Amino acid sequence: MEYIYSVLILIGIYTIMAASFNLIIGYGGLISIAHPIFFALAAYASALLNLRLGVPIPLAILIGALFSAGMSVMLSLPSLRVSGDYLLIASIGFQLGFIEVIKNIEFAGAASGLTGIGSLYSGPTRSLAFTVTVLVAAAAVVWLVHWLTHGEYGRAIQAMRDDEECFASLGRNAMAIKITIFAVGSGLAGLAGALYAHYFQFLSPEQFGIVQSALILTMVVVGGMGTTLGPIVGALLLTALPQAITFLNMPPSVMAPVQGMLYTGLVLVFLFVRPAGLVGKKAGQ
Amino acid sequence: MNQNVTRRAWLRSLAVAAAVAAIGTAGSAAAQQTLKFGLAMPLTGSQSSYGKDQIKATEWAVADINAKGGVNGKKLEVIVLDTQADPTVGINAVNRLVNVDKVPVFVTAWSAVVKAVAPIANREKVLELSIGANSPDIAKLGDYVYTAFPLADVDVAALANYTFSTLKHKRVAVVYINNDTGIEAAKVYKSVFEKAGGQVVAYETYDPKATDFTGMLLKVRTANPEFIHLHGLVSDMPIVISQMRQLGMQQRVSTYSGGLNQQMIEKAGKGAEGLIVTSLAPNAQQNKNVGPYIERWKKAENRIPNGLPYTQYLYDAAYLVAALYEYVENNKLPATGENMRKALLAVKTFELPMTGRLVMNDDHTVRKPVNLVTVKNAEFVPLATVE
Amino acid sequence: MFDLPVLLQILWTSVATSTCYVLFAVAFALTLKVAQVWNFVQAGTMGLAFYAMFAAMLGWGWPHPAGFAFGLGIAVAVSMAVEVWGYRVLRRRRSSALLLFIFAIVVAEFIAYLLSLVFGTEPQSLTKSLTSEVYLVGGVAISSWDLNALAVTAAACAALFAFLRFTRQGQFLYAVADNGDLAELYGISANRAYLIAMVIAAALVSVGVYLYGTRASMIPNAPLELMLLAVIATILGGIGSLVGAGVAAVFLSVLQSASILVIPSQWQSSLTYFVLFAVILFFPTGFRVPAWLRRR
Repeated sequence: MEYIYSVLILIGIYTIMAASFNLIIGYGGLISIAHPIFFALAAYASALLNLRLGVPIPLAILIGALFSAGMSVMLSLPSLRVSGDYLLIASIGFQLGFIEVIKNIEFAGAASGLTGIGSLYSGPTRSLAFTVTVLVAAAAVVWLVHWLTHGEYGRAIQAMRDDEECFASLGRNAMAIKITIFAVGSGLAGLAGALYAHYFQFLSPEQFGIVQSALILTMVVVGGMGTTLGPIVGALLLTALPQAITFLNMPPSVMAPVQGMLYTGLVLVFLFVRPAGLVGKKAGQ
Repeated sequence: MNQNVTRRAWLRSLAVAAAVAAIGTAGSAAAQQTLKFGLAMPLTGSQSSYGKDQIKATEWAVADINAKGGVNGKKLEVIVLDTQADPTVGINAVNRLVNVDKVPVFVTAWSAVVKAVAPIANREKVLELSIGANSPDIAKLGDYVYTAFPLADVDVAALANYTFSTLKHKRVAVVYINNDTGIEAAKVYKSVFEKAGGQVVAYETYDPKATDFTGMLLKVRTANPEFIHLHGLVSDMPIVISQMRQLGMQQRVSTYSGGLNQQMIEKAGKGAEGLIVTSLAPNAQQNKNVGPYIERWKKAENRIPNGLPYTQYLYDAAYLVAALYEYVENNKLPATGENMRKALLAVKTFELPMTGRLVMNDDHTVRKPVNLVTVKNAEFVPLATVE
Repeated sequence: MFDLPVLLQILWTSVATSTCYVLFAVAFALTLKVAQVWNFVQAGTMGLAFYAMFAAMLGWGWPHPAGFAFGLGIAVAVSMAVEVWGYRVLRRRRSSALLLFIFAIVVAEFIAYLLSLVFGTEPQSLTKSLTSEVYLVGGVAISSWDLNALAVTAAACAALFAFLRFTRQGQFLYAVADNGDLAELYGISANRAYLIAMVIAAALVSVGVYLYGTRASMIPNAPLELMLLAVIATILGGIGSLVGAGVAAVFLSVLQSASILVIPSQWQSSLTYFVLFAVILFFPTGFRVPAWLRRR
């Protein structure tokens, strides 16, 4: 049962990541791969606030998420000033650069990682409490993204994506919307990160590299970019599937690469056969 | 239309999740009669050449123990899961071992993994035995985390003292890889060497992904050390050494037991002559079981194992666990993590076949004599032993 | 530390080491320029080329030229396949840049997993020993690897330049790079140009991984990281400029090595990323190469 809880918690955390990434890339059309770094920044911030300064964990989580949102502006503002393509490259540099920085910071555990992080809950019902919290948070995030993208604001985003020049000529500020979307998405990723930190109680800079970026991208694409439920489906499938594969009793030395090939193969199939993802509208519908 | 698509997608995902649960519980229902323990090691990833050999050693030991009747007639069983030497994968693997396979004790290595899974061991009250990782922090990871392998403050310290007292070098340079392996060991070396009275004239690091160490090595060269301690991985150390030699630096080099690998000699060529490597396990002269063990490897795999000393410890790991189970069985205690820990502290001193006597100290660590090995004529030969 | 032999040594070795990166960067810049695609599949091509050479040279004992040719063949074949069955299909469907990007990265990862399945993940090199003969010239250690690498890279770049400047197909590549639709109107096949660009890139990276593999060790995930420098160099050099990409690759390599003189060693690798960030902020279109130098 414990094991099932930990899988559910992972699914919840990845749902938040996928949904927030979907907001940025699926709805906002902003190509960035630095999502995991905002996860990481909030995770570290929250962990350290609690560990070194004694800030109560729920508050630390909140501050962590806000920190990520704020840091995202550092990335989005300069790059979007130039063009969307630059955001992609800048995001790569931003992510990897920050990982290097974290690896050199002693009080954050440096390259060996940060241990002994406080846990949000303790006691015998810990896992259940965590599971409920994370799943509720995930549902809230999905709902939030849905609300943002389907109301009046959502129509503005749509208009901006469809024809930015026209949009600007009508006096709407595309730049402000993009930066806001990016900040909200990154802040939500931060929320996921902080929850992760206080559940697993260990962080190391290697966990937030390009592999993570690709994983989240896969979840969004396979689930269906630009849909509300797509990220949930993507996160569920891509967290549960590797777990299921490990139970198939394949010789362990081939398991990891086979798993990887299954993932990436899955994405490629989807890209060509069903680019709208599992939940998206089939071409022609 | 959209609704149908969504519903299908939901059903698909739920089916997968249900399958996971079904297979998972079915798997753990089988085989309750064996004495289980977990082994979380890198089967894939950049460290797999060590991980796989270590796993093999443990599996051999388990087979040997069972061939002689097991523990009180019951068979020992090792459950192996891949960690890729990666903390996230490691957490997942140990979660499985603890919550699905319900092992009361597990063995793991690689400092990042050992630290990452410590919270699980402490929370679930399952005994974590770190065997092979050497970060000094491991001693303080919690009530349920013990190391059966000496930490860096044993072998690196021995090396530093040997270099100062016996080799009589007063000025050394420390070059280390910028990750958890290198950073902590380098700190230990520096503090021990300076405490002995020596001077660390250069203290430089390099990126794990770098291939050109010229600038950094030139800085070391300018400091004019008499001796260099290098602490990295087999993927980079030979390159560092060969570039060192090419820049005209002929100082002798020492490294830790991770360098006890044929690739060091192959890739660095003549530059590896005189290299001093530590080994924390007894060699064939010191322990009569080691010779036949090496022969067994040569027959089965046509080579000596990667990181021979580590594999000796992992072989003994099975015997260590067997001893814990024996205590628990003899005292009619249920095989829980708590009792395994109790067993460890009660028995305290173990006589193990490949590594000799192991004494678990109260501070969760063990101390062992350090063998020093050097490269002479492209071969590893014994040099000295430091208690 | 600032004496002349040391500086010369750093300069020499970092330039020599940059050769592989120059090839990777120019290859990437070429496909970007001609096909307007951020060809991250290049990482996969690099991996396949390397492991093919590894299998041939160390597995089957082929002599190096044969092994290299084998690797080259595989790289070219894969590139062509990716272009014809991947990019071309997605282009025909008018897929968004995002989809192309996802496709490229995912293919590269797929290949990395495949390679780790077949070859394992232990570091491998193309030669048993990584040391080569060293000559001392005025206090500066020059290895025969350095000399080979520089000669080979110079030859490759010269060949590329000659092709682009002096052959008709080369000119067509430029036409398509400028304006694909317009070139089509003139009877130039854009698809053919894209294919040729991919093939040339494959050839360049084959040479690059050969050089890299005779000096350092490779693991299946390494190409993805090596690509990073190529991408950064391409941007730094100005998108659309092959010479810029090459020069930037050399510059970054020298910068990273020389930085040891002023910053502590642990910050060396972060430097590249900070440079990237600074470039995005202050020089988004790359350093301005004076017009007379920037003919291409």
